[in-house]
Formats: sequence, structure tokens, C-alpha cells
Amino acid sequence: MRISTSTIYDLGVASIQQQTSAMVKTQQQIATGRRVLTPADDPVASARVLELSQSKALNQQYDVNTDSATSALGLEDVVLEGVTNLLLDVRTTVLSANNPLMNNTTLSGMATSLRGRYEELLGLANSADSNGQYMFSGFKGSTQSFTQIAPGNVAYNGDQGQRLIQITPTRQIAASDSGLDVFQQIRNGNGTFVTAAGATNTGTGLISEGSATTAFDGKSYQIVFTSATTYDINQVSPTTGAVIATPVSGATYTSGNSITVGGGELTITGAPVSGDKFTVKPSSNESLFTTLNNFIIALEKPTDPISPAAKAALMNDITTALSNLDNGLDRVLTVRASVGTRMQEIDAVKASGEDIGLQYEQTLSDLQDLDYAKAITDLTRQQVGLEAAQKSFLKIQELSLFNFI
Amino acid sequence: MGTLEIGISGLRAAQIGLSTTGHNITNAATPGYHRQEITQSANTPLSTGAGFIGTGVNVEAIKRVYDEFLDRQVQTAQTQSSYLDAYSAQISQINNMVADPSAGLSPALQEFFQGVHDVAANPASVPSRQSMISSAEALVTRFHTLNQRFEEIRDGINSQVTASVSMINSYARQIAELNGRIVIAQAGSSGSPNDLLDQRDNLIAELNKEINVSVVKQSDGSYNVSMGKGQALVVGNLAYTLTAQPSLDDPSRIDVGYQSWGGQVSFIRQDSLDSGNLGGLLAFRNEALDAAQNALGRIAIGLAQTMNDQHRLGQDLNGDLGGSLFNVMGPGGTSGAFSVPSAKVVANVNNSDLTPAGSPAVTLSDVSKVTTSDYTLAYSAAGYTLTRLSDKTVMFANAALPQTTTDGLTIAAPTNAPANGDRWLIQPTRNGARDVGVAIQDTAKIAAAAPVLTNATFANTGTGKISAGSVNVNYLAAPLAGTVTLTYNATTNQFSRSPATSPVTVTLSNGSTTTYLAWMPVPYSEEGQTITFGGISFSITGQPANNDTFTISPNTNGVADNRNALLLVGLQTKNTLAGSTASYQSAFSQLVGSIGVQTRDINVTAQAQASLVAQSQQAQQSLSGVNLDEEAANLLRYQQAYQASGKMMQIASTLFDTLLGLGQ
Repeated sequence: MRISTSTIYDLGVASIQQQTSAMVKTQQQIATGRRVLTPADDPVASARVLELSQSKALNQQYDVNTDSATSALGLEDVVLEGVTNLLLDVRTTVLSANNPLMNNTTLSGMATSLRGRYEELLGLANSADSNGQYMFSGFKGSTQSFTQIAPGNVAYNGDQGQRLIQITPTRQIAASDSGLDVFQQIRNGNGTFVTAAGATNTGTGLISEGSATTAFDGKSYQIVFTSATTYDINQVSPTTGAVIATPVSGATYTSGNSITVGGGELTITGAPVSGDKFTVKPSSNESLFTTLNNFIIALEKPTDPISPAAKAALMNDITTALSNLDNGLDRVLTVRASVGTRMQEIDAVKASGEDIGLQYEQTLSDLQDLDYAKAITDLTRQQVGLEAAQKSFLKIQELSLFNFI
Repeated sequence: MGTLEIGISGLRAAQIGLSTTGHNITNAATPGYHRQEITQSANTPLSTGAGFIGTGVNVEAIKRVYDEFLDRQVQTAQTQSSYLDAYSAQISQINNMVADPSAGLSPALQEFFQGVHDVAANPASVPSRQSMISSAEALVTRFHTLNQRFEEIRDGINSQVTASVSMINSYARQIAELNGRIVIAQAGSSGSPNDLLDQRDNLIAELNKEINVSVVKQSDGSYNVSMGKGQALVVGNLAYTLTAQPSLDDPSRIDVGYQSWGGQVSFIRQDSLDSGNLGGLLAFRNEALDAAQNALGRIAIGLAQTMNDQHRLGQDLNGDLGGSLFNVMGPGGTSGAFSVPSAKVVANVNNSDLTPAGSPAVTLSDVSKVTTSDYTLAYSAAGYTLTRLSDKTVMFANAALPQTTTDGLTIAAPTNAPANGDRWLIQPTRNGARDVGVAIQDTAKIAAAAPVLTNATFANTGTGKISAGSVNVNYLAAPLAGTVTLTYNATTNQFSRSPATSPVTVTLSNGSTTTYLAWMPVPYSEEGQTITFGGISFSITGQPANNDTFTISPNTNGVADNRNALLLVGLQTKNTLAGSTASYQSAFSQLVGSIGVQTRDINVTAQAQASLVAQSQQAQQSLSGVNLDEEAANLLRYQQAYQASGKMMQIASTLFDTLLGLGQ
């Protein structure tokens, strides 16, 4: 076959160029560390890389979100721990008030100290988070959660919103709790009904809190002693207190015996006198502030010397306060448990998020990163090829018949 | 006739041989040169009694070594190769543009959503809100930058088409001129004007690089050259002219026109120009550039519109309903809180009415369905016909306007009545990436909160709980003015509403829905049932007690409310585009993937074609190319022939001298 001289040059140059461009590409791959330099190198991988990089960025975002959720919940937990300790402390004080040797001085000393705890509780309930937002105001983060209208009457200014934080693609976790839930929406009494002694009682009858039962019919009742040994049970209007009916009349009273009122059971002990009244009402929501304030008022009531009737009234108030405090404590502990569970979940999510992040890294690396060993081997091979092409081209173009004529 | 004559004929032939060889050597590197060789033959012998005596040699012709088939093969391969090279060079620009992981759309998109996440985590924080606005600005800038790049490529195509057309015209003129010269040269001589022929064939080859032409050789030696679907470019010594001028459909693109005698210009259909450099440029613009720019525009429009739709359902720090987060207005669109993007509509320059009132208004009524294609709308007496250009699907034919297509476009009739034959080009997403902007600068105007708030009343004795409410687009028509209270009646197991102004829909867990009139109480059929009225949805769980109440009220002071921000965040991964099959990111990945595949295909084909060109060139060169070694041998051969002929003449002279010496 004839070969034209220009073909020899064209072929020589073409093969050198081909080798050079392959080498430059390998060099670029080595310099950037990426196997896929442009989408054309591997269209499928490039598209996948973009998708994965979003997933990876999102995963990192979720990691950041878990951190802010943890910090918000951690802060809330600290506050709730303070509330728990405060309530336990108050409970001890309430128990110590139940002491026959107490006199007006010690009781009012106790009241003063509890007044301080009351203010402290209000302070805790108005805690702010790291961004200066009120922790227990729901969505109304810049509104002070609780304001005192009168002692014991504390208004909640927030709402029932829970701030949610996205911690996985599908999970939004609550990073706050409404103050209404924590401090105010607490059932009083035993949860179904609440008992109280009449304010004007002169006997020493003590009423128990009764035991919670679903049998309670939800109406308001009044136990009225007609003598030291007999009593009536009246159904009364929950608003006016007017007698509606008298389901039980002239029952015999024995101290410590169980009395059934509207399906609920309770006991009265001691020596009530004729005209003494005890009320049984359905449980309602009572805020911790009201509970605490009611007890403080009860402590401030008796004057020296303390009469047996006043002592009985105090004892009844202690019973009420204890049951309401326990309810409050239950609530706070429930919320704390829920906070703890959420923090645990976040920890688990964070750990799995880190694993997922590693997997994304791995897949991304598989898709786009360069196998250096292979690339460097390639480079060496291409170098040899290029040198061979250059040298052989030189050799061939040296051959010319004109050299000999 | 004598020995001397024979010697002279030999000398002459050797001299011609030497000059031809010299010509070959000097033109070894001339493009389009075909090596020449001489054909020599013995002269007519002299008849004598002794027989026929030779009378020397004669050079019959100097012919070029030319094979029409081989040359044609090179040209065919070359025209396809030029097409692919032009296409490849253009698409590589897009390929490189989207290649950089830090320069594409993805990082900007991710940073923007990081900003939204930041607001979701700290809804009341002004720095977080500022970072969301700043990252939105960065995203918009990225859209603009990428679009600008597309526009630059588009402008580049326009000027390259113009350049290519003027080159074609120049080649055609030169070929016509050479035709004339060749006809004259051939008429006056029996030989062929080899070098003129080479020049003309080379021009044909160059012309083929720009556009595929076919050549018909005429009996007088001239070439008739035609292109595409038979439009004559050169006839004899006359050349026709192509023009590069703005398309009638879309004046922003330069198309190719054909000027016939008389100066009338008709546009050449795109599919006739499917080869050569010019074909490559036009095909790239049609197939790759338009689709890529439209795809980017669709992401911009889709993102802006879907984010806006959600943002408008939220409530900002001032307690107002959210406005637009992004501007998506196209040219000619109307503004307003409920605006939808409008498509770019280009009227054909021959239309009867070129004012805006003469064109239909086209809106993207459903961005989730919008495609990346362009459309043409044509009017005839029978009605309007809309054709999707990507696959030539007729969306509707001979119909009256307005129409809403399955592609999410709503087309309203022009204000002024059109005339028969009016046409419009509709580019729904072309300017999407150009026109997108950030609509808010005030951090307080980010609507991170939801506009409604639900509460279970403090005095409730039951365990009923109400979920945080959400709103849909129906809420915007009648935002909540005051608190709506739901009161539970244990006897009837129903909720009554006050005030009750709109019907209520209850959705159960099995998906069944029942609608109750405004005055009707709502049954509490199952725990967790969804209750919807006035665009507000919520659910109630637990067992409420008799007379327990729940309130739904406007959200006031909800600065820490991030419900709407969370919904905005959710849009990042939601499939909102391309018929609800792609998220913003995956729509961009698809664009990158498809550009990658196209580039790869073109590059691979271009490489194969280049080797085809090389092969056919080798075959052609193997026949017609100059080999210097061969020429060196020829030099020696003709030199020796010359010397031998000279020697022979010397001998003849000596013989003659001998004869002369006889008389001395």
C-alpha cells in the first residue's frame, strides 16, 4: 500500500495527541482526586452524586437539628428538675406542718418560707431558653409565660403549641412543652373527685381524699352532719351550692367507716359536730401556684392557742395540699420522663444519623473518587506510550530517500 | 526522423517528468492537492522495409491521480464529523458548566434550605431569618449566573451561524468562479487544468465541512452544487446566497434563509440542515440548549412557586399572612399575592397584531405539570391548535380559547381577534431562571408560623386533646377573624361550633369523608378524626367530658411557632416538579444526567467519526497523496532518462561526426 508522506505526519501527530490528551485527563483526575471530571465521564454517577450530596447535606442538617433539640430539651430538663426538687421540698414542709406541737409562730415561719418557694416556682415557670425565648410559652416565645394577677391566681399567657424540630426526614420531635400542661392543667383531689371540709366547721372531723374510681357520677355533693352521729348527703349545684336533692338522709356516722358519695368512697374520722359540712366535688384543674398558695393561706390561718377545730381544719388542708402536690409532682415527673424519652430518641437518631452519614460518604466516594493506584499506573503506562509514539515518529520521519541523493 | 529526434523526444519527456515530480514535491503539503503523473507513450513508428522503426516518446497527458469515489467518501465522513465536532464543542460548554460540584445549582440549593432549616430551628431569631434571606439571594444569583451562561452560549450560536453562512456563501462564490475558469481552460486545451480542479475539489471539501452538499458534474466540466433538500448553491458560474437572519417565530434566534433569484428569502427548514458545522450548531440549539435552559427555568419557577404557595399559608412576625417569598413573574404577568407565573409568548413577526393585546396570555397554572418543552400556537378560522415541540404532540386542535392543557398551561384568547395564519411561540420556562428573584428583604416577613392556633380549654375535665391545626389554600379566602369554639356534648357524642359559618368536613381514618352543613353538629365518630372547615384542619383525640371546649383562634404573638417553616423545609425533598416525580434537586440531577449522556454520546460518536475520517483520508491519500520517497525515485528516474537521452544525442552527434569525417 502506498503511504503518502503527509499521512505519516498526520498519523504520527494524531497518535501523540491522543496519548497526550489521555495523559492530561489522568493527570487532572489525579490532581482533583475525582474519577468523574464532567458529567459526560459518567452521567449516571454524576446525577447520583448530586442526589446523594443533597441527602448528605440534609443528614448533616438533621444532625445540627438534633443538637438544638438536645440543647432545648436539656435546658427544659434542668428546669423541670428544679421544679421537682422544689415540690419535694415543699412536700417535706407540708408533712412537717402535720405536727401537734406546731404553734402560730412556727406555722407562719413556714408560710413565709413557702412564699419564697412560691416565687421561686414562678421564676422557674418563666424560664427562658438559650435564645431568650420563654420556654413554657408554647408558640408565644417572646411573651412571658406566667403572670401573677393575685397570689395564687397566676395567668398563663402562652398557648398550647409545641415547638417541633425535624430530626429525621419523617420525624419531628417536640422540643418544648406548654406551661399549661406542666404547671396548670393538673387534676386536683384524687383525680376523679376532690374533698374538702367546710370553712365554718367547729368539730374535729377529718375527711380523707378518697380513692379514685370511675364509678363516681361527676356531681357535686355536700355531707352535712345533723348531729354528732348522723349525717345527710345532699346533691348541690356546682355553681350556687343550692341543695338539689338529698339522696341519703339520716345515716349513722361511725368514725373511720367508709362513706359512699355519688359512687365515690371516702372516710371521715374524728368528732364532727352538728352543722359541720364536708364537700365532694368532681376534680377540676388546679395550678401548682393555687395549690401552694392555698396551703400558705391555711398555714397563716390558726392563731395561738390553736383550737382543736382549727387544728382539724389545718389537718384537712394538709390532706388536700398533699394530694394536690402529689398530683403536681406526678405531672412534672411525667413531663420529665417524656423529655427524657425524647432525648433518648434523639441520641439514637443522632447515632444512626452518623452511621448513615458514613454510608453516604462511602457511596459518594465509590461513585466519584479516584482509585489512585489505578490512576498512577495508568499515568505511567500512558507516559511510556507517549514516549514510544514520539520516538517512533522521530525515527520514521528521519527516513527519507532524499538523505541519500 | 532520426536518432537525434528520438533523443530530443526523450529529453522533452524526461523534462516534463522532472517538472511534474518537482510540482508534486513542492505541493506535498498543499491541502487538496492530488499528485500528478505523466502518461507517456511511444510515438507512431515509421514504416520501413525493415519494419516499423520507433520514433521516440511522447507525453500524452499530465493527469492528476484522482478517484472521485474516494474523495467523495472523505467529504461525506468529514461533513458528519464537522457536525459532531460543532455539537460536541457547544455541549461541552454546558457539560463543563454543570460539572463543578461547587459551581452548579446543588450547593446553592442546599445552602438555601439550610437557611430555611435554621429558621425552623430558631423561628424568632433575626440572624437565622437574615441567613435564610441571604441564602435565598445566593440561590437566585446562582440561577441568574447559570442562565446568563446559557444566554452567552445562545448568542455564540447566533454569531457562529452567521459566520458559517457567510463562509458557505464565500465558498459558493469561489466555486462558481472556478467553474467559469475551468470551462474556459478546458475549452482551449485538450488537457485538464489539474490544479484548478484540485482547488475546486478542495473548496467542495471545505464547503462540506460547513454543510453537506451534493455535486453533479456537467459535461462542460463545471460542477452544479446543491445542499440540503436540493436547494441549488452553485449552477455553472452562478452562486446563490444563504442569509442568516432572525427567525420569524422567535426573533432572538438567527436562522438560515435561502435567497432565490429576485432576492426573495425563504427560511430553510431545520431538518434540511442536518449536517456539517452549521447543522451541528442548529441541532445543538434545538436539542440540547433549549431543553437545558428550559429545565433550569422550570426548577427556578417550580421552586419559587411551590415555596410561595406554602409561604402564603404561613404567618409572619407581624402577624400577617405570608406574602411571596420569590418573584416568579414572567414578562407580561400580573402581580398579586395569588399570582401564577406567566409563560414567554413570542408572536410571529408576520402576525396581524404585534402589540401585547394581539397575543394570548399564557400562565403556568400548575407548575408541577409543566414540561421543559416549547410550544407553538397557531390560529386558523377553525380555531387554535397547540403543538408541543419536543415530540410534536398536538395538545389541542382547532379549539376555542381559553384552554388548560394537561401540561399545566392555561392559554387565554388574545384581547384583539387574531387573523388567519397567526402563530405564536410559547416558551413556558425559558426565562424562569432569568426572572426569579427574592421578594422579601424584611426578616419579619418570613412566614415561619401557622396562622391558626388550637387550644383545649383549661377547665376541661375530659382527656380530649386537639392537634396543632394546619391550613390549606382555602383558608386564604376567609382567614379566621376570631375564636371558634367547639363544645362537646357527651349525650349526643357531638361537637357544636360557635360561630358556625362554614360547612365542616370530617375525614375518618379509612379515608371516608362526610360534609356537614354549617349549622349541623359534628359527630365525634372516632378518635383522631380530621375535622376541616374554612381551610383549617385539626384532629381531636382522647375522650372529652361533657361541655369540654376546644378553641381554634388566630395565632397571635406566635414568634416561636415554626410550623410553616417545617412545611417549607419539607418541600426540599418533596416531588413537586415534572408531574410530581422530581424534587428540585432531582430535577437538576436529571438535567445534569441528560447533558452528561448527550455529551458522552456525541463525544463517542465524534471519536468514531473522526477515525472514519482518518481512515477515508488515508485511503484517499494512499492513492492521491504525495510520497516524497516515491518522488525522489522519480526524480532519479527522470534524471537518468534525461541523461540517457542526452547521451543518446551525443552518440547521434558522434555518429553524425563520423559521417562528416568520412569526407575529410
